[in-house]
Amino acid sequence: MFKKSPQKQGLQIIIVGAGKVGSTLIEQLTKEGHDITIIDRNPAKITEITNMYDIMGVTGNGASYSVQMDAGIENADLIIAVTGSDELNLLCCTIAKQVGDCAAIARVRTPDYSREVSYLQDKLGLAMIINPELEAAKEAARILYLPSALEVSSFAHNQADMVKFKIPEGNVLDQMTIAHLGKTITNDILICAVERNGEVYIPSGNFTLAAGDVISFVASNKVTRSFLATIGIKTNRVKNTMIIGGGKVAYYLAQQLLTRGINVKIIESDPTRCQELSVLLPKAIIIHGDGTDQDLLKEEGLEYIESFVPLTGLDEENVMLTLYAKKVSNAKVITKINRITFQDVINSLDLGSVIYPRYITSEAIIAYVRAKKDSMDRNIETLYHMFDHRVEAIEFLINSESDITNVPLKDLSLKNDLLIAFINRNGSIIIPTGQDSIHVGDTVMIVTSHAGLSDIEDILN
Amino acid sequence: MNSSIIRYILGCVLKIEACLMLLPCLTAAVYDEVEGFYFLIVAFVTALIGYLMTIRKPSNTVFYLKEGCVTTALSWIFLSIFGAIPFVLTGEIPSFTDALFETISGFTTTGASILSDVEALSHTSLMWRSFTHWIGGMGVLVFLLAIIPMTGGSHMNLMRAESPGPSVGKLVPKVKSTARILYAIYFGMTLVEIILLLLGNMPVFDAITTSFGTAGTGGFGIKNDSIMSYSPYIQWVITIFMILFGVNFNAYYLMLFGYLKKAFSIEEVKAYFLVILASIGIIFIETIEMVGNGFKALTDASFQVASIITTTGFSTVDFDQWPMTCKTILVLLMFIGACAGSTGGGIKVSRFIILVKTIGRELQYYIHPKCTRKIKMDGKMIEHEIVRSTNVYFITFMIVFCASVFAISFEGRDLVTNFTAVAATINNIGPGLELVGPTQNFGLFSPFSKYVLMFDMLAGRLELFPLLILFHPTVWKDLYVQKCVEKKRKKELGL
Repeated sequence: MFKKSPQKQGLQIIIVGAGKVGSTLIEQLTKEGHDITIIDRNPAKITEITNMYDIMGVTGNGASYSVQMDAGIENADLIIAVTGSDELNLLCCTIAKQVGDCAAIARVRTPDYSREVSYLQDKLGLAMIINPELEAAKEAARILYLPSALEVSSFAHNQADMVKFKIPEGNVLDQMTIAHLGKTITNDILICAVERNGEVYIPSGNFTLAAGDVISFVASNKVTRSFLATIGIKTNRVKNTMIIGGGKVAYYLAQQLLTRGINVKIIESDPTRCQELSVLLPKAIIIHGDGTDQDLLKEEGLEYIESFVPLTGLDEENVMLTLYAKKVSNAKVITKINRITFQDVINSLDLGSVIYPRYITSEAIIAYVRAKKDSMDRNIETLYHMFDHRVEAIEFLINSESDITNVPLKDLSLKNDLLIAFINRNGSIIIPTGQDSIHVGDTVMIVTSHAGLSDIEDILN
Repeated sequence: MNSSIIRYILGCVLKIEACLMLLPCLTAAVYDEVEGFYFLIVAFVTALIGYLMTIRKPSNTVFYLKEGCVTTALSWIFLSIFGAIPFVLTGEIPSFTDALFETISGFTTTGASILSDVEALSHTSLMWRSFTHWIGGMGVLVFLLAIIPMTGGSHMNLMRAESPGPSVGKLVPKVKSTARILYAIYFGMTLVEIILLLLGNMPVFDAITTSFGTAGTGGFGIKNDSIMSYSPYIQWVITIFMILFGVNFNAYYLMLFGYLKKAFSIEEVKAYFLVILASIGIIFIETIEMVGNGFKALTDASFQVASIITTTGFSTVDFDQWPMTCKTILVLLMFIGACAGSTGGGIKVSRFIILVKTIGRELQYYIHPKCTRKIKMDGKMIEHEIVRSTNVYFITFMIVFCASVFAISFEGRDLVTNFTAVAATINNIGPGLELVGPTQNFGLFSPFSKYVLMFDMLAGRLELFPLLILFHPTVWKDLYVQKCVEKKRKKELGL
């Protein structure tokens, strides 16, 4: 009665901290059938979240031994610490490791620790340390290197890119079928998802592209730029950028851009933070002022800037700034949205590139959880959600022989709405054709609209 | 208000009831009784109605507290109405009001009967009567949660509306697993009791029905003199199991997983046993002279105390003949009731603990007006919200209680009868004192009074608010407005 059948059994997961990331994780993980216990200090938050989802709540300090015992740490498989404080997160995980036999994931985001992440992870025996701000900054930076794209994500240890862009009017791709594209332009890319009028399609060979479609394609990063250049889309990266707000994401982003030689201007309203930033980022121009002041923005040349990234703490402000920047300049704009969830409204605003730090965090953790749920010899390397969670891109590591290995792909009966996007064999990216087959030691990326895939064999019918 | 999910769940509840009615049919087959056919017909009709109600999946599975309360209250009313029909059809309880009273009394685990000669009923009907106790004890919706896969996370609201106690917690993260564990414990304990009773040479039929009555803390006996004629061994087994079923089920869960110390240190459980021991002690001392036999006095005292505090309502002696002190103790025990999270009724021990602690804190405020003090239980702070709702619960309980006493007073019976009749029904006990004492029954009341008492039984079992919310006009207005909007939308789409 108390032992459920193994395939149905979810993991026992304890989440500490019911903030933005905590609740996003709960939403996702309950859907995938795990048993979740949430620990938070605020009883009101616990009540609210236990009313919304089928989980258990424990009020208290997550780093305390007795609270962890109450939450059932002894039987837990995984503890995820995502409170607002890095130190508390690390302490939670350290204590949990002592009490129970579980894996631990901590969110650590202060730049002080970010340089020591691998050391901490190793010494404390953590399964994963995640830094959402750094990940968000990396994503923003990737877009700025390729400003004509809406989103750029990297897979296979940065060997492959997935690029999302909108087909402009009069482009060669307009009214072209995918099969024709393969014959006439290049065979080295694969279009894995197309969004048209709010619907997402996983296209087959006879799918016809049209202007206005938002398409996602994968390619090895050497090919990406040449392909975009061939179809007449600009590929030069931006030369300068203006960041509003000097928080952690701004710092990480500026740091990355500066090392690539892109000029950065940061507008921050807190004078002390300005001082700090000017010490940390000597090459950047730090401006003390209100980033939402139109006159200041104009004075600092918003109309002539090449890219603009509002990173204030308020989502509404970020959205307003984006809309304003789109109106007065031709800059590439990236909007960061932390909290608000009115996805439909955001989509209808045509903001261009939008990054959601909390999704970035939860995606990384969910990829880990799915891999953990699975047997040890097949592993999920990365998991990535596209088009508001309607499509998933999952990278599997193939560690053993199975029904899908050493069989030409054309002989596999794959599910509908599912694509094998690329095979990474010893660091070289293969965009597969029907003759290719999967070998042990490859990593394979699957793009699908079926949610919850955790095993490579799930791709078969 | 989401009407489609309410309809769907009600349909599921009816389907479950239809399945449960097969047990009396089985009994009929064993004893070769014609009554079984009536049960079979009603089961079939109930299943059909349930099927028709669930044919269309709910368009929207969003579920809030108000839907939870309304669904729970309506489920219990539906259950009782359909459960009463077989009694009328078999002709054993010809009046529908009486049949409904008997069924509600069964499902709410009250055990108050309108029958003067129980032994005249067929085995089939007796089985159904006792089985309603078992179903009602843990709750139908909890059963529903245990077996039916439900999407969305908010079905905790269903469990909260049906399970007794000031705050309903889960044993494990998932509602489904929690419900399953509860039913497993419930089922296991019932089985153990049946076996122990059989070892005491009780007939199989008696052992099963009595165990159902004990497990649900119901109290329908199958003999006119309840448990009086059985051996002391059987009486002691029943006493112990009544007390066990009145314990918070969380304690059993903790025990199952080896946290014995933690299980025994639950404040509510300790208080519960303390009250039982003290009451038995006083009654034993008061009645030992009258009875003359020390063992018999102890057996009777323990049995009656266990029966009343767990709100079961079996009896082995006519306690109406006892000294006044003993009767007073029993009436007070009626109000205390069993532990939260058990199958018993009453106000619940944990609520009394909170209330007493609130009084203590109030006194402290008079001595040190500026002091800050939080109420704690089991070493944990109790949220202000729970203290507040406990106070409101107590006040509401008293108002409903007084109003009911007033409503049945028009018949001109004495105060003790009226007072204990309401106390015995709203606390889900069964027998009261004087005209509704353990050897009497509720058949003497007029139909109006019976409906008042039926309301009390449901209100007591569902802990007032889920039932009272049905009388709030906004609930029905909400339903109506939403229907209109939906129709309008459909029309627009159609055009």
